[in-house]
Amino acid sequence: MSLLELKALLPQLLMVLGATVVLVAGAWVRNRRLWLLTGLVLALGAAFIAGTVEPPVAEVAGMFSTSLYARFCTIAWSLVIAATLLLSGRYADLHRYGGGEYTSLLLFAGTGMSLLSAATSFLGLFLSLEAFTLVLYILIAFNRVDNLGAEAGLKYLVFGAVATGFIAFGIALIYTASGTLHIAEALAALQVDGAMRPLGLAGWALMLVAIGFKISLVPFHFWTPDVYQGAPAPVGGVMATAAKGAVLAAFLPLLDGLGVAGGEIKQVLWLLAILTMLVGTFSALSQTNLKRMLAYSSVTHMGYLLIALLIGGADGGQALLFYLVVYSFATFGAFGVITSWALEDGEVQNYDDLRGLGYLHPRRSSALALFMLSLAGVPPLAGFFGKFGIFHAALQHGYLELALIGVFASLVSLYYYLRPIIVLFMQERDAHQLRSGSGEEFVLLAGCCVATLFFGIYPGPLLDLIMTLLP
Amino acid sequence: MMATLTFYLAGAIAVIATALAITRSNPVHAVIYLVNSFFALALLFYLLGAPLLAAWELIIYAGAIMVLFLFIIMMLKLSPSSAEKGLVATRGQWVPVVLLAVALASCTMLLTGLDPATAQEAPRWHASPRDFGYALFKEYALAVEIASFQLLFAAVGAFYVGRPDKMRDEEDVV
Repeated sequence: MSLLELKALLPQLLMVLGATVVLVAGAWVRNRRLWLLTGLVLALGAAFIAGTVEPPVAEVAGMFSTSLYARFCTIAWSLVIAATLLLSGRYADLHRYGGGEYTSLLLFAGTGMSLLSAATSFLGLFLSLEAFTLVLYILIAFNRVDNLGAEAGLKYLVFGAVATGFIAFGIALIYTASGTLHIAEALAALQVDGAMRPLGLAGWALMLVAIGFKISLVPFHFWTPDVYQGAPAPVGGVMATAAKGAVLAAFLPLLDGLGVAGGEIKQVLWLLAILTMLVGTFSALSQTNLKRMLAYSSVTHMGYLLIALLIGGADGGQALLFYLVVYSFATFGAFGVITSWALEDGEVQNYDDLRGLGYLHPRRSSALALFMLSLAGVPPLAGFFGKFGIFHAALQHGYLELALIGVFASLVSLYYYLRPIIVLFMQERDAHQLRSGSGEEFVLLAGCCVATLFFGIYPGPLLDLIMTLLP
Repeated sequence: MMATLTFYLAGAIAVIATALAITRSNPVHAVIYLVNSFFALALLFYLLGAPLLAAWELIIYAGAIMVLFLFIIMMLKLSPSSAEKGLVATRGQWVPVVLLAVALASCTMLLTGLDPATAQEAPRWHASPRDFGYALFKEYALAVEIASFQLLFAAVGAFYVGRPDKMRDEEDVV
């Protein structure tokens, strides 16, 4: 590895070395706020470097690309990590987290995610995927006194280990068939006369299982509600946004690279998309817990994103990235409100506990309502444009049935997104007064609200940016 | 010919032993079967031309990690019922012995086959420890670094989540 290659990896190096420094220094200086702030500065610094420093080489060690697309993903995931650290201040105090450990684990997760979206080799893909999944196992169970958290962590660990086995075996089969780990070369070698070689197909089938688990597509989604419910709310925010986004961003070029030979895989994805949208929607209907509802909602949204993944090419990629960004703002904001309402002995997440909370905490309740409406895709908000983009692209590329099911799922989803709003504002006030929000939570939630509104009214700049990334 | 035969023999042993390892209810038996499977795997690595990996498979996996597993199982103090069940002599006890014997026998067969006097075919590709180290720390240096960071954070997390409550209370500062 040359110095130039190291320079190209500067944002990731900053995060991972910073994480190590925070970890070591955190053993001596037990100051939670100091380390959260340091982590925030490091993550923002990584995003800044990724945005401004032109990488001198196009590919690092034959494993990671430094394209504009990869840099955009690095910026996005480091910003999510920065936002999580900002949000966690009071929550970490409440549960007496070790500041150094929490910060360094989150920073390392950010490194893994940004490397995953940049992977150009199956080896890099596997390692970076495992890097942040491993950190998530720990972060989910970070609140040790909470039995639900421990259960969620264990559940995710067991399912995740099986998924890791699947992806490792899938990569091994693809390597056997193609003789190389480099993704572009391997995908080219897998094809004979425009069709996939059988061994490659088997490898892809195993990989799809693992992807299905990581982004919770329907037959593999059973862990999602339990893990979201048990995980600390800020960690849940990362899992629902950046962790899934990084996997999707990594597999978008992978599926595109398949070209015509990907026909069989696309048939499977087509079925998965339908199942995911329908089962996710109908499972969310009966939920009476905000975090569980958000979990099923994220399953449904992964179904929409799968449509964009299926379409592929520039159109699908642009719709996917735009949707991912607006979905992340709304979902992260919703988890942010839950974080802000957290109590020492748990989080306010049952609808019964939310009843009438809108009168006591009008600002945060309205923010939550705004995020719910954006997720539902109500017109002036950003979520509407995201959905419009995906369904429009689906119609253009002949996926009429997927677009219809998507629209149907969105209409039904209004029911379960409106329910918490009704509980918050239109029912007898019997909730207890919660803590007032802290300054940094206010900044973050306001930021998410502004973004959700802004990209809904004026999506032009973001669309232009995404078009330059995926021409 | 000898090498091909040994390859399939070792492959069969690895599959059978692993299947048995994950179906045993007695954890000690499971560990012994896993050791069997590691021996067979080491043989496979050797036949594929990676002697260093074969040696590591034996020294690190079978030798160190599995012994650690055995210690942990013994320290966990299994309930008397399961321990009694494990002590009852059954015909199943002979299975690991047979598997390991076949693995060792094929190992011997291989060594005889590789003897310069009787050698018929050498492995097509041979990765010397030097080649291996070169690939690991030159070509895949970044991958090794990522994996080592991963292990570091896994260790930290495991310690954090698993530390005793006493330490938690001491930590309640700032």
